[in-house]
Amino acid sequence: MPHQCVRCNKVYSDGSQELLKGCDCGGKFFFYVREKHLKKAEEITQKLTKEEKKQIEEDIFDIVDMEKDDRPVILDLETIRVLKPGKYELDVVKMFKGDSLVYKLDEGKYIIDLLSTFKSLRERKK
Amino acid sequence: MIKIIRNFIKRIFHQIFQGKKHIRLGLYGPPNAGKTTLANRISLDWLGEEVGKVSKVPHETREIMVKEKIIIESKEGKKISFNLVDTPGIATKIDYEDFLKFKMNKKDAKKRAKEATKGVIEAIKWLDNMDAVIVVLDSTLNPYSQVNLTIIGNLAAREIPVLVVANKIDLKKSKIKKVENAFPQYDVVGVSAEKGHNIEEFYESLFRVVK
Repeated sequence: MPHQCVRCNKVYSDGSQELLKGCDCGGKFFFYVREKHLKKAEEITQKLTKEEKKQIEEDIFDIVDMEKDDRPVILDLETIRVLKPGKYELDVVKMFKGDSLVYKLDEGKYIIDLLSTFKSLRERKK
Repeated sequence: MIKIIRNFIKRIFHQIFQGKKHIRLGLYGPPNAGKTTLANRISLDWLGEEVGKVSKVPHETREIMVKEKIIIESKEGKKISFNLVDTPGIATKIDYEDFLKFKMNKKDAKKRAKEATKGVIEAIKWLDNMDAVIVVLDSTLNPYSQVNLTIIGNLAAREIPVLVVANKIDLKKSKIKKVENAFPQYDVVGVSAEKGHNIEEFYESLFRVVK
């Protein structure tokens, strides 16, 4: 599955080194895009200005209550789509299912944050 | 400190020997359905104080609000004790431009949209903590929306008792029959949380759903 840098729109395939280190442009924030949505994702991000991209980056960190650090972050476009700052599309069906919202990369491993954590908590309770 | 420990032990004791009588009751639904208005009505009726601010602008409630220890009593003397949890409205699209119509400036509207999105995540996150849920719907709107169906479907899957409230029955466009037809397997009660219409029946329904 491709990953797209929020800052410069460059697309990286799964397992690319850049996903662990960050993009060539210095960006460490990626959209996780399924193949079938790649075209739409590219269209959306290409229309964004530099300021808008920066704003989206900041807003997302705030929305998912995450401290900004040096680790690359991947946002799953399937769950929350940020069209522009202040314009959001939410896939509530997936969110209720507990599908992951944000992946954080650490030492080459995916750490699933947020909603999937709740899902596993729920499963543990059972 | 000793007082805190004593209270804690007392509470544990109470829970073990009295059974689980104190529950967490959630209010869920789309934005602007009247969740906070209903929460205020319940809290005013039994505690004499409000839960939160209401507004015509959607997504006024963007954080979870809890009113603790509300005890309601039926005509037959049955009691339910609960913490009332008012949640942000769940939506599939949040657009700051929708708020501009209410004379809000762009910066505030964008901030509201961001906080509302965060609120949806919070509301969903809290669902697993609920013992029973009141789903508040606007009875003037089509009940077959993705948000309504998703909320109710997920509550059913989690086996959480549900009471559907068809709010705003005081308005001309209100169609409570449509809500009843959409969710035939649930208790549906029509109210006007704002005007207080049919609130007695709402409490009676609540006693039926929360046993």
